[in-house]
Amino acid sequence: MASTPSKRALPSKESSLFKELLTFYETRQLKKGQKTADQILKKFPEHGETLCMKGLILTHMGKRDEGRELVKKGVRLDLTSHIVWHVFGLIQKGEKNYEEALKSYTQALRFDKENMNILRDAAHLQTQLRLYDGLVETRHLLLKLRPNLRQNWIGLAIAYHLNGNLTEVKRVLEQYERTLKNVPDYDVEQSELMLYHVRVLEDLGELSEALSLLDVNAKSRVIVDRVAIMETRARILSKQGPTEETEQSWRALIQHNPDCPDYYKGLLASKGIDLDNITDSNRAEALQILRDLSTQLPRADTPRRLALDVSIGDEFQELVRDYLLRGLKKGIPSLFVDVKTLYKDTPKWMTIEELVEGFRETQENGGSLDDPSIPSAHSSPPSTSHEAPTTYLWTLYFLAQHHSSRDNHFRALTLITTALTHTPTLPELLTFKGRILKRLGDPVEASVAVNEARLLDGQDRFLNTKAAKYKLRAGLIEDASDILGLFTKKDAPSPGADLEDMQSLLYLMEEGNAYRRKGRLHQALKKYHVVRKVFEEFEDDQYDFHGYSLRKSTLNIYLNLIAWEDNLWSHPAYVASAIAASQIYVKVHDDPSVSKDALSSGTSTEAEKKAKKKAKKAAQKIQEELKKAASTSTNEDKGLEVTPPKDEDPDGFKLLTDPEPLERAWKLLSPLPALVRNNIDVWIAVYDVAVRRGKYLQAVRALSNAKALDPEHAELHLRYLHFRKTYSALPSPLSGPVGAIVSNTLSSLLPSELSSDLYNSQYLQRHPADARAVFSAARGLHLLDHPKEEVEDMIFGVLNREAHLQLKVALEVLAFLQGIRSARAEEFRLACDQKFLLSSVFKNPAELALLQREGSPKEEQQEVIG
Amino acid sequence: MSVNIRPARVDDVTGMQACNLQNLPENNLLHYYLHHLLTWPSLPYVAEDAKGRIVGYVIARIVADNAGAVHGHLRSISVLRPYRRTGLARKLALQCRKPSPLPYSPTSDIVRSEEAMRTTYRAAYVVLNVRKTNRGAICLYRDALGFAVHAIREKHYADGEDAYVMRLSLDL
Repeated sequence: MASTPSKRALPSKESSLFKELLTFYETRQLKKGQKTADQILKKFPEHGETLCMKGLILTHMGKRDEGRELVKKGVRLDLTSHIVWHVFGLIQKGEKNYEEALKSYTQALRFDKENMNILRDAAHLQTQLRLYDGLVETRHLLLKLRPNLRQNWIGLAIAYHLNGNLTEVKRVLEQYERTLKNVPDYDVEQSELMLYHVRVLEDLGELSEALSLLDVNAKSRVIVDRVAIMETRARILSKQGPTEETEQSWRALIQHNPDCPDYYKGLLASKGIDLDNITDSNRAEALQILRDLSTQLPRADTPRRLALDVSIGDEFQELVRDYLLRGLKKGIPSLFVDVKTLYKDTPKWMTIEELVEGFRETQENGGSLDDPSIPSAHSSPPSTSHEAPTTYLWTLYFLAQHHSSRDNHFRALTLITTALTHTPTLPELLTFKGRILKRLGDPVEASVAVNEARLLDGQDRFLNTKAAKYKLRAGLIEDASDILGLFTKKDAPSPGADLEDMQSLLYLMEEGNAYRRKGRLHQALKKYHVVRKVFEEFEDDQYDFHGYSLRKSTLNIYLNLIAWEDNLWSHPAYVASAIAASQIYVKVHDDPSVSKDALSSGTSTEAEKKAKKKAKKAAQKIQEELKKAASTSTNEDKGLEVTPPKDEDPDGFKLLTDPEPLERAWKLLSPLPALVRNNIDVWIAVYDVAVRRGKYLQAVRALSNAKALDPEHAELHLRYLHFRKTYSALPSPLSGPVGAIVSNTLSSLLPSELSSDLYNSQYLQRHPADARAVFSAARGLHLLDHPKEEVEDMIFGVLNREAHLQLKVALEVLAFLQGIRSARAEEFRLACDQKFLLSSVFKNPAELALLQREGSPKEEQQEVIG
Repeated sequence: MSVNIRPARVDDVTGMQACNLQNLPENNLLHYYLHHLLTWPSLPYVAEDAKGRIVGYVIARIVADNAGAVHGHLRSISVLRPYRRTGLARKLALQCRKPSPLPYSPTSDIVRSEEAMRTTYRAAYVVLNVRKTNRGAICLYRDALGFAVHAIREKHYADGEDAYVMRLSLDL
């Protein structure tokens, strides 16, 4: 280090103090480190590296702001030191600012090219940021510096893999394996590495090489994961084509785990049979295979269940009879859900209905279900007495589910009432009663039923969650919170806060939706934004594994993790939250008075105020503890990760009154177009935001993508009209190539020779019996500035019998009528209240409040969870 | 009844987390599920219904004692209520027993998490912790899975409750 700048060089006393300082930091003796730094700074207050080290130590001690300032100052004072840049990078990494951190690391590497620690961290950052060209370079350098470390070889192989160069991966692995001498038996890490090598060969299409590598290493016990061996073998053999050996490989897996349908699928495929597309020519053979396996594996349900997919006619009747009887006698609550997938085939659900109604009648007449007059495959020993009473109960339960799924909710309700008279204490009956009532449009009574179920087994969190969900659906948000609180941590500021900490997407979405239905849009937005925060945490979660998985050499699963993270934002919960939030933002943009209404509707009830006070107190306490911890200088290491700052906007007021709602909406939607191409709701949400942001090309492309999925979609129809109207009203049309693309795309969606009015009425003519389409066409009239009476006349068409108006659509129609201040909204509400018998959602607000009060009894205060 | 029982994949983790949060009192962040899956990829199993929802799972890990011998630790088994009574927990977890006297193929029921502990990691035994008052779970572990109470861990849970340490030998 001959060229050490004079500013950096310290006299020998301070120089050895600085070395001590580094050691104190590495061993996390923070207080001593701080003192040592101060000692140096007393004489050399402008020593950049010392300032940075002190800043780093302070950050570890929880004094981030002060620490960060020192680090920045230190960097400015010594721009060519690798230490200052490394420290700055560490701080930025702790703040999850990966891009800036990588820049700092790159600076550090300019001044210390071969620093292993910095190179390794840089590789992790490059992986996190998906900068794979740079990653390959970094990994190359690491391997050159330390070729004796396994993880450096693996690191280079994975870098090539991520960068899409499998040929190089293969070369690196082979080279590494040549350096290996004695590998002990049962070395799990070597086993994982070889399984990875096999996968690389498989992905390269070198199937026989892959197979022989697998077989050799399985035999020599280098690869020890038996299931992975068998699954990989069967998969590769299947790619090579159906042979006797392929068949045997699947049979071995079935023997090993008879409850995995994929294995049966593989077995049948090895016989040239596609289980998902059975034809009349191979049905008998497929069924015979499944029947044989059912006999061989009497305890396995899967071959019996698959036989129901394959069989038809009398054979189906015989098999399904056995299957249903077995389930009903065992009292399996999920029996209906299990066979429900057969219902897409009409003869099959009719057979099931006939059979189970028959079972019910037999039992009501005191008969036995083992009556041989109905053919049965395995004739059970003739029973002399009649059936166990529980079988009758499960029969009624099944039938109720069956009829409800056929939209015959009244019949379902009668059946479940009979069952409840028979046995009032089976929670399943009550939860299903709740489901029926929900489907009938009475969320309040539904929540009463599900809550009764919960009370029958207070220790069961499954019932607890269900009861809370139904309360939220009924708009009883405080009740839901009380119920959830029976299982959440007692020291959490509120039940919701605990569920939020625990990343409960179900809770966040349900409560967000409940607020939205109540018009408390600020609180709804808040929950949707927390969903985003949870996904940001999921995205960060991968960081730890960029290094960890190389050390553990669990590479196949690590690559799956990377692929999963690349698709993370397509998760249904994120998609739903982003769409819902964007719709609120669009609403606020179109009519800013909406946010005022929402904020004034947020006047809380007494109970809510109390709960809020309590939560505030608890949150304050936590903040105070944090502050206290930060001010007392203890040796405790708080790490470099940022602790979340106090939430300044717990009720979402700032979100709802954001001056740029469209920009916020776009930020939420922006990951979706690339990842979720097959969801029409996404394209419509993207359109709604893009067109308002003046991004006409993006808007019209969203419409094209939506059209490819469902050209006659009711919401899409309306957007065609909306786009033409908006675009043609532009003061100056878009020019140049973009303008041409937009115009051409628009006319491909909505032919320019057609007037909008004509287009709208043609759409209505194509779908006269579809309430959604009628509603869409009526909104089309409104959009095209037709008189309100005309819009209303058309909209009332949804009430015609043949339009099959669904409750959900009826609610949207009502909201629309109220939104345009239609004089006939009340008439529509009353008509729906008549039409949807047993529903409560069309009651007026006063009636509804009364029902909700009744649905929220107070007698359940005392409950203890064991 | 008929559910798909298979090794867990990375894209199951949010489903596993949901299956835990809606069902059991002890909860974990997503990172916990990732950590187990990426450390011992052959141990976690899931049960999935026809719609692809995770209705049950088992999470386990391998622990080395001071002498270097390893054993398995069943960390969490969750089966949603509609799928209880179906033998699912047993199918997910068990699968390592001594020769079975039952008349069907002895291998037909032998798989999955504990089997993987035995064959992949050569674990000699497997342990689990259970709340002392959780009778249902204790019965399941004892009667269906063959565990026996091995020790008591006082005040193991955050609320001060004791845990039973239950143990099962995995004859190598």
